[in-house]
Amino acid sequence: MTTEQAATDAPVTHDTYALGRRDRVFGLIQRHGATAVLVLLLAVGSLSFSRFPTTENLGDIAITSSFPAMVALGMTFVIITGGIDLSVGSVFALGGVLAAYAVRWGTAAGLLVPLAVCGAIGLVQGLLIARVRLAPFIVTLAGLLGARGLLLSISHEGATTYLIPHGSLLARLGQGRLFGLGQPVYLTLALFVIGAVLLQRTGFGQAVYAIGGAEDAAALMGVRVARTKIIVYVLSGTLAGLSGALNAARLSSGVTILGTGMELDVIAAVVIGGTLLTGGAGSVSGTIAGVLLLGVIQNLINQIGDLSSSYQQVVSGAFLAVVVVVQTYLSRARRL
Amino acid sequence: MTVPPYRRPRPALLSTTIIAITAALVAGCAKSEKDQPTGGGGAQAGQVVQSPSGSAPSCTLSKFGGTKFDPKTAVVGFSQSEKEANPFRIAETQSIKAEAKQEGIAGLRVTNGQSQFSKQISDVQQLIAQGAKALVIAPLNSDGWEPVLQQATAKHIPIITVDRKINATACKDYVTFIGSDFYQQGKRAADQMIKALNGKGKVAILLGSSGNNVTTERTNGFKEEIAKQAPGIQITFEQTGDFAREKGQQVTEQMIQSHPDVGAIYAENDEMALGAVTALKGAGKKAGDVKIVSVDGTRNAVTQIVSGWIYAVVESNPRFGPLAFQTLTKFVNGEPIPDKVIISDREYDSSNAEQSVASAY
Repeated sequence: MTTEQAATDAPVTHDTYALGRRDRVFGLIQRHGATAVLVLLLAVGSLSFSRFPTTENLGDIAITSSFPAMVALGMTFVIITGGIDLSVGSVFALGGVLAAYAVRWGTAAGLLVPLAVCGAIGLVQGLLIARVRLAPFIVTLAGLLGARGLLLSISHEGATTYLIPHGSLLARLGQGRLFGLGQPVYLTLALFVIGAVLLQRTGFGQAVYAIGGAEDAAALMGVRVARTKIIVYVLSGTLAGLSGALNAARLSSGVTILGTGMELDVIAAVVIGGTLLTGGAGSVSGTIAGVLLLGVIQNLINQIGDLSSSYQQVVSGAFLAVVVVVQTYLSRARRL
Repeated sequence: MTVPPYRRPRPALLSTTIIAITAALVAGCAKSEKDQPTGGGGAQAGQVVQSPSGSAPSCTLSKFGGTKFDPKTAVVGFSQSEKEANPFRIAETQSIKAEAKQEGIAGLRVTNGQSQFSKQISDVQQLIAQGAKALVIAPLNSDGWEPVLQQATAKHIPIITVDRKINATACKDYVTFIGSDFYQQGKRAADQMIKALNGKGKVAILLGSSGNNVTTERTNGFKEEIAKQAPGIQITFEQTGDFAREKGQQVTEQMIQSHPDVGAIYAENDEMALGAVTALKGAGKKAGDVKIVSVDGTRNAVTQIVSGWIYAVVESNPRFGPLAFQTLTKFVNGEPIPDKVIISDREYDSSNAEQSVASAY
């Protein structure tokens, strides 16, 4: 190992400028690879299928992707700190059921109850991870089961589906359109802008990156590690709950079977978007590209029509594997 | 030339594990039913409409507000709900495809929601965006179809739902529902159960997945008939097996431990019944020790009647193709359609199982 590194060290130290350039190119690919592939797929799709580039179809992709995107935004923060949140799928479903249940007390309750409960789930998880120092994987796995259990108890083992009345303000919020696009799309974009500012321009964002890069060093530098981690999990839970509530508003009902396996799709989207699972690097713009990429792949495979949709999962899986391999290679190359 | 500083090992193991799990779950879901040939063709044991079926035919194209089109040249969408990993879904999709081919409907587009409701919604929206003139939907969930129904009614696209219902208004939001009378299936299963137990004993129920009318009606039909006809039968255990074989097995294993006195199991589909058979075998029980009655009529289950593990099976015929396209053709030709088309289902028990195995799906 040491001889190998010593051997590769030689040319690297000779040409620091080349290293810097290579470093920048690799960094660029890592950050914007998903966007590039997304643009490519959109171009190929538009040329191959006349029914693909219609405003209706693209609008469908946008609204369908906006719900996992909100969840993925929270997940991006969590993963950059080096953590993981497996509870989001269940919390998403719980948020929807709570919204449909609480809307009887008014629109505000229909939004605030899911936000409060899901935020509280995030808070408990964050406390266990940051203060008790339990592994995020296990804590949020427990959260996945607990949130699903809570959902089942509210909905009588899933037998009762609560409805959000037609024409109610909450339903209009989820179903309304603005310039041909569903309203949740605009909200998602706004949340991503806020997320980007939070991550890139604030001390909190710096702390998130620092913790993911080297937690001990960050603590020595005076970063409030525990507090930052707790906020990140509260953020993830709240966003999952908000997404679930808006999705329920769109469907006019608190569907109980949603969200199973969603956490994996969301993690996949975040990773494809260039965020390192090991933490310390990533961006919210990459995440939005990752979510859209998965949505476009699904749409394109449906366009082919007769192709068995099992292939869709094969393609998504293969794509994820390729992205992770490339990322691992790039980050290793940068660190040499 | 410096010795590289010691680098703390990064938590690569965690990420590798997550990738492995993700990849396995994302990509590895294409299991298929290999232990049987599936007869899903339209001709073989197709569905027969029960008479009298539902209400009087009243829904016409003009009442619905649509315009006439030729199904042979139009885009027709079929949205399947679950992976084709169990005989019911395999036979259902095959029947639709085979019938479309036979009728010369070239523009059939098939999507599969992979048991994810969000995906099924976006699948159907995409079928609409692709210009589908008519939709046949096997809904995963009965509620939550608002966005689809809004888009479809705006374009006057007729929707026929098969096997499960959509909670909406017939002839306005959708045209009609084709399926079995699930309440009746539950009732018939109860009658078989009463016969199996001679009117007294303890029964466990393996419930289907929640949130759809199939589970609710199969449960209500069974319970109400038992309460009415056989007060000596007690239902002492009920838990969901999600219509899946593994879950049915798992729940039965727990039940054998917690309720060893249960003498019969009502499984709300064959897959869970087959899981229960595996669990009973594993617990050292013999064929017939615990009477099993289930609903569906898959070939595997009917075979288990012959070998004595299952007492009786009430059929739920998945071959929707012929009836779905007949109904659609009638509808676009302006003929009135009833708000629901109920099909008649057969029953399998030890008296006819052996002869009927070949025609089961």
